[in-house]
Amino acid sequence: MTWLVPLVVILPLLGAAATLVVSRNRRLQILLSVGMLTIVTLVSIALLVIVDAGGTLAVQVGGWAAPWGITLVVDRLSAIMLVISALMLLGVLVYSVGQGIADGDQETPLSIFHPSYLVLAAGLFNVFIAGDLFNLYVGFEMLLAASYVLLTLGSTGVRIRAGTTYIIVSLVSSVFFLGAIALVYGATGTVNLAQLSERLGELPGDVQLLLHAALLIGFAVKAAVYPVSFWLPDSYPTAPAPVTAVFAGLLTKVGVYAILRTETLLFPGGQLSQVLLWVALLTLLVGILGAVAQADIKRLLSFTLVSHIGYMIFGIALASLSGLTATVFYVVHHITVQTTLFLVTGLIERIGGTTSINRLAGLLKAAPLISILFFIPALNLGGIPPFSGFIGKVGLFLAGSEQGGWLVWVVIAAGAVTSLLTLYALMRVWNMVFWRGKSELEGYTSPMLESLQETDEATIGKVQSTTPRLMVGTTIVMVCLTVSLTFCAGPLMDLAGRAAADLLDPSSYLTAVLGGGNG
Amino acid sequence: MLLVVCAFAALALATPLLTRWWGTRVFSVVAILPAAAFVYTLTQSATVIAGGEYTESVPWIPQLGIALSFRVDALSWLLALIVTGVGALVLLYCASYFSPSEPALGRFASILLLFAGIMYGLVTSDDVVVMFIFWEATSVLSYLLIGHYTSRKESRGAAIQALLVTTFGGLAMLVGVAILVVQAGSTSLAVIVATPLHGPIISTAIILVIVGAGSKSALVPFHFWLPAAMEAPTPVSAYLHAAAMVKAGIYLIARLAPGFADTPGWRETLITVGLITMLVGGWRSLRQNDLKLVLAYGTISQLGFLALIAGYGSRDSALAAASLLVAHTLYKAALFLTVGIIEHRTGTRDLRRLSGLRRSQPVLAVIALVSVASMAGVPPFFGFVAKEAAFTALFDSGGSGDAWGWIALVGIVVGSVITFAYSARFLWGAFAVKRETAATPVTHPDNGVILIAPGILALFTVAAGLASPWLDHALSAYADTLGTGDYHLALWHGIEPALVLTALVVMVGAVVVWQRIRVTRFQATVPPWINASGAYWQIIRYIDSFSHAITVRVQRFGLPGYIAAVLGVFIAAVGAATIMNRTWPNEVTLWDYPAQVFIAVAMIIAALCAARATQRIAAVLLVGVTGYGMVTLFAVQGAPDLALTQALVETITLVVFVLVLRRLPSDMITRHRPRHQVFKALVATTAGGVLGIAGFIALGARQHESVSERMPELALEAHGHNVVNVMLVDIRAWDTMGEIAVLVVVATGIASLIFVNKRTGGAPQLPQARPTRQLRNRRAIVLEPDTRSATVLNGDSSTLLPDPDAPTRGAFLIAGRTLSARNRSILVEVLTRLLFHPAIVLSLYLLFVGHNMPGGGFAGGLVAGLALVTRYLAGGRYELGEALGIDAGRILGTGILLATGTALLGLFLGGEVLQSTWFQQDLGWVGEISIGTTTLFDIGVYLVVVGLILDVLRSLGAEIDRHLDEGVQANDTLTDSPAEANR
Repeated sequence: MTWLVPLVVILPLLGAAATLVVSRNRRLQILLSVGMLTIVTLVSIALLVIVDAGGTLAVQVGGWAAPWGITLVVDRLSAIMLVISALMLLGVLVYSVGQGIADGDQETPLSIFHPSYLVLAAGLFNVFIAGDLFNLYVGFEMLLAASYVLLTLGSTGVRIRAGTTYIIVSLVSSVFFLGAIALVYGATGTVNLAQLSERLGELPGDVQLLLHAALLIGFAVKAAVYPVSFWLPDSYPTAPAPVTAVFAGLLTKVGVYAILRTETLLFPGGQLSQVLLWVALLTLLVGILGAVAQADIKRLLSFTLVSHIGYMIFGIALASLSGLTATVFYVVHHITVQTTLFLVTGLIERIGGTTSINRLAGLLKAAPLISILFFIPALNLGGIPPFSGFIGKVGLFLAGSEQGGWLVWVVIAAGAVTSLLTLYALMRVWNMVFWRGKSELEGYTSPMLESLQETDEATIGKVQSTTPRLMVGTTIVMVCLTVSLTFCAGPLMDLAGRAAADLLDPSSYLTAVLGGGNG
Repeated sequence: MLLVVCAFAALALATPLLTRWWGTRVFSVVAILPAAAFVYTLTQSATVIAGGEYTESVPWIPQLGIALSFRVDALSWLLALIVTGVGALVLLYCASYFSPSEPALGRFASILLLFAGIMYGLVTSDDVVVMFIFWEATSVLSYLLIGHYTSRKESRGAAIQALLVTTFGGLAMLVGVAILVVQAGSTSLAVIVATPLHGPIISTAIILVIVGAGSKSALVPFHFWLPAAMEAPTPVSAYLHAAAMVKAGIYLIARLAPGFADTPGWRETLITVGLITMLVGGWRSLRQNDLKLVLAYGTISQLGFLALIAGYGSRDSALAAASLLVAHTLYKAALFLTVGIIEHRTGTRDLRRLSGLRRSQPVLAVIALVSVASMAGVPPFFGFVAKEAAFTALFDSGGSGDAWGWIALVGIVVGSVITFAYSARFLWGAFAVKRETAATPVTHPDNGVILIAPGILALFTVAAGLASPWLDHALSAYADTLGTGDYHLALWHGIEPALVLTALVVMVGAVVVWQRIRVTRFQATVPPWINASGAYWQIIRYIDSFSHAITVRVQRFGLPGYIAAVLGVFIAAVGAATIMNRTWPNEVTLWDYPAQVFIAVAMIIAALCAARATQRIAAVLLVGVTGYGMVTLFAVQGAPDLALTQALVETITLVVFVLVLRRLPSDMITRHRPRHQVFKALVATTAGGVLGIAGFIALGARQHESVSERMPELALEAHGHNVVNVMLVDIRAWDTMGEIAVLVVVATGIASLIFVNKRTGGAPQLPQARPTRQLRNRRAIVLEPDTRSATVLNGDSSTLLPDPDAPTRGAFLIAGRTLSARNRSILVEVLTRLLFHPAIVLSLYLLFVGHNMPGGGFAGGLVAGLALVTRYLAGGRYELGEALGIDAGRILGTGILLATGTALLGLFLGGEVLQSTWFQQDLGWVGEISIGTTTLFDIGVYLVVVGLILDVLRSLGAEIDRHLDEGVQANDTLTDSPAEANR
């Protein structure tokens, strides 16, 4: 069944090409992109089932054996990432179709949105199946290039400004990534991940450290960890709601995924664990403090996004089976819940005309359904049980407690504080936006609002008269998905455990790629 | 037991709907469920009291050892009875308490019912993580219930305060629980309690758990949320803040006491905190004028007492704790409900405005009297029995040499005096006839059904007191898990120290009541030492302003700061690694050819100058120099393919830059001070240097031969002599496929920026050229141009007059006429005319020979693109449309289709994705021809490159020309929406 593997990249590209060719036919474009992503979702699910049952799949592209050609690899981790991202991409696509039908082309112009979105999908999937360091880079470039386009849709001044920050930071980090690849190739003479796994270990420790650090920096910028995280809240929130949702849910996780691979396949043994613990600590705290200071919901969520990356880095830094298991689980949780929250925020913006909590009120009365749709994922993100955020956190805390060490305890404490402050920030939103009456808005003062940062662009925009059923429907499905993570927590955690076991013992990966005897 | 919880959840989901049909009656109906749960729990009594237990377990997350396991033993049984019994009564009470016009009644009923279910789950779950889930769920539901009156600011503030405080404790507890789970190796509470655990880490864990319990049970310093939570409707206060939720912390203490009472830190902490809470709560209670607040502070005080006695950890104290738990639930719930009735009937609960209710509300007064007496510890009510047990337990313990026993005893005696005093104050405040206040009128009479719930509770208070010897058996079942003891509950034990203490309490208490004016005056002179509520707000403000400060600080620098951060991290991390490096290469090859040195130096100088340039065009050209430097480096190293491609790319880039620069001011303004520039230069050069040194180290560490060594050999297998091209279209074609997708997206993005929301269509064409493409027609246009349309299209005044030379000068390029005379150059037009077709032929040649010679789809596409560039530059946008009038998007799309199609072809032919297939034919004397699917792929690449350049010319060239012609100012388009401009 290896032929399924390349399809996850080729089909979206095919879709992108087709939407370009039929760019004058709106319906056909929608049909094509929704169709392609649906097929890819099914393929991903099939891959997950196959890989989970039968072990890692490797495809030698063009029939060129590793390490000379490019290898595509799907192990459990890849398959999990494929499935969850495909689901998110599909959900957000349907949401944006709903928005486009209602508002016309203004926010998500079809002839630009669809091809770019599909290339983004292709790049994302490529990253997850890349068995080759340079191909990983290509995957990054695909999704980044597409993200530049999506971020600046409509080219308003605000978006161009945000886009400038985003593009330049991304390019700089790509340069470092490319540089790191060059260093790695220079030292080992290969870019095949499996072969690197063998050859890097044979290098002197000093050189390993050098390469390790160089590689991590590029990924760290993508994952937005402290101190290279500041660009994110300046970039994401201005884009159209569906775009921000996808970016928030998936793009940073690509960085996390790459770090996860680096720390397990390329440089196992936790050489930089202490450093990563510090990074996790600061990411958690500085990120969440940023969220507490925001008046704009989108910006607030962007800061929580940064902050919660810290949890995943923490799990990676633990480098134990339970730590990695919890990390994989947390990644799945966080992708789902962040995407969902941004979609809900899109709905809030439609109803309220703004996303500033200083100017929104009375939504509980105005839109009870959307209130519920916000409340549940908000609690989830805040780590309130029984939702998946809590389960992930418990997994991480348990993993940390097994390991011990003062720094680990400090990070656990920071994790608890972060959870509390996330809850604080989100419930403040709930208090002001949903509970507070519309009539109280005038001249409202509260100690809780005194230090909030208002964004420059906080103006009351147009209140859309209609909220398309398709948008609300998609959001409902997404919220249900976040809740279902709780019910499926057992099997999911099991799966994450098997994925983590694969990560810790890469022998199946190496055998799949290089064959039994070829060392 | 899981089923019970599920039943609650299901009914709670349906409740809003039911409320729509039944109105307030829904409360009486749904009260049946907790009542049924109460009965169900009663059926478990015999087994549980005999020391048995009911367990059930459903696996949930085996990876973490978490299961939905429940266990009803004596303690859980007791608590389950309390939460279901009081839950049913409170729901019943709600039916009369709320008026049908109450807003959001369905939501309220649903949440309150769910709360009862959650409480049941909390006290019966055995898995500590599952228990924690219920624990936090109560916090969230209590948040929603306290904030029930959403339009009240105080209510919202109190709700979030309670949520934050209890969640803070909850998280501390979670960490403690995680430690306990890992240390005990199980998530089962029973196993954790039974496992002997020692060491400082256990003490830490225990303290963390106590923090959690304390925040939930409103112990100092977390007590302040409870009075604030009185914003909630009174039934909520009765249930959550007296009977159920606040008991969760006590339950947890009681649950863990058998295992951890002797852990260092446990007893000390709980006795200290318990005593302080008891005294602070009582003291504050005496100062309240709102009856509900009197009770709230009284509850805090009693919770302190409970925490102390439950945590004390002897068998007798545990018996006392269990009794006190029951007694407190009965009287405090009854009293809250009483206050609710008073407020309901009179519209106030301020004890300064209430008078004469003793006469007008005799039944209520009796209920209150019984409950208050129990609270004050007056015989024969159950409160007295419980307090006696506590006194005795501590007295015996102190007698056997435990100093903490004496401290605790003295403390609770003082606390009990205060309790007596505020009990009396409550009774007097609510029911007494006050001379200075007129009798309070009953403004809102009801049918008396509302009295049922508090009446039943009061009845239990009396009955339990009288039946205490029989209750002893049931309550000892839990106490016996802590050891052995011979104390039994009874109204009369003979003249004992405990009875003496009770007498003392009553006497001193009576004095305090008698001297209440002095006491009040004295209280007024004592400053509030513990102002926890103020502290809370202070902390919130501090967190907010700290967050603000730190965020402003890290986000202040904007883009330059973010880049500096990336570079800084790189320098720090990789720089440190190079400094620490001990394995340096033995030999140093600084250059292969001396020419490299000169090229490198030239590039460095150009780069430096580019950074210093103040004019945009200069900066662009200097960057171009570094690019061409790369070209020569490639050429010197013997890579003609790379050199060719790089040269073409550089040229195209320059053209694009020039097109863009038309819309930008020519000078760059630097806003930064020289100091910043020095800093930037330093950071940039250091980063570059570090990368260079790192490269030196990395290359020196090479042990294996590179995969590239075998590439020439593999290329031959792929029927190609040009290794670079074979890699691009075959061996690493997957990369190429991705990269051309990048090109497509970039083209789309540029179109998006310029056209904003539609990118379809080709470059503009001359109107007459459309109908037919025959050369004859074209000539006709060229020879007899439609002057008017050209003028309109052009908008340049200079062409308003027919140009006499037009026919001849326009002959070289089809759309040359559309340009104003001063923008035309005959030489360029002639050259373009001469070069265009050969260039296209050359591009095709490069495309097809690429597999064996320098060239390939990429280089070929670039050459074709340059040909288009020339046409555009020479003849303007209409010329571009005439040269290639197809929608660029289609060309791009077709290119990708070809490439991905080739990839799929490999799969269809039974090989791997992108596997190439060759068609070989010996053509006799012509030679052998070999065509592969790779050629198709390369054509795809070619098309994408051509499409990209066409798209760039169309948007950055033609469309911006149009903007300029229409007089759209540069600033408008780049800072505001071009969509506006287009309209």
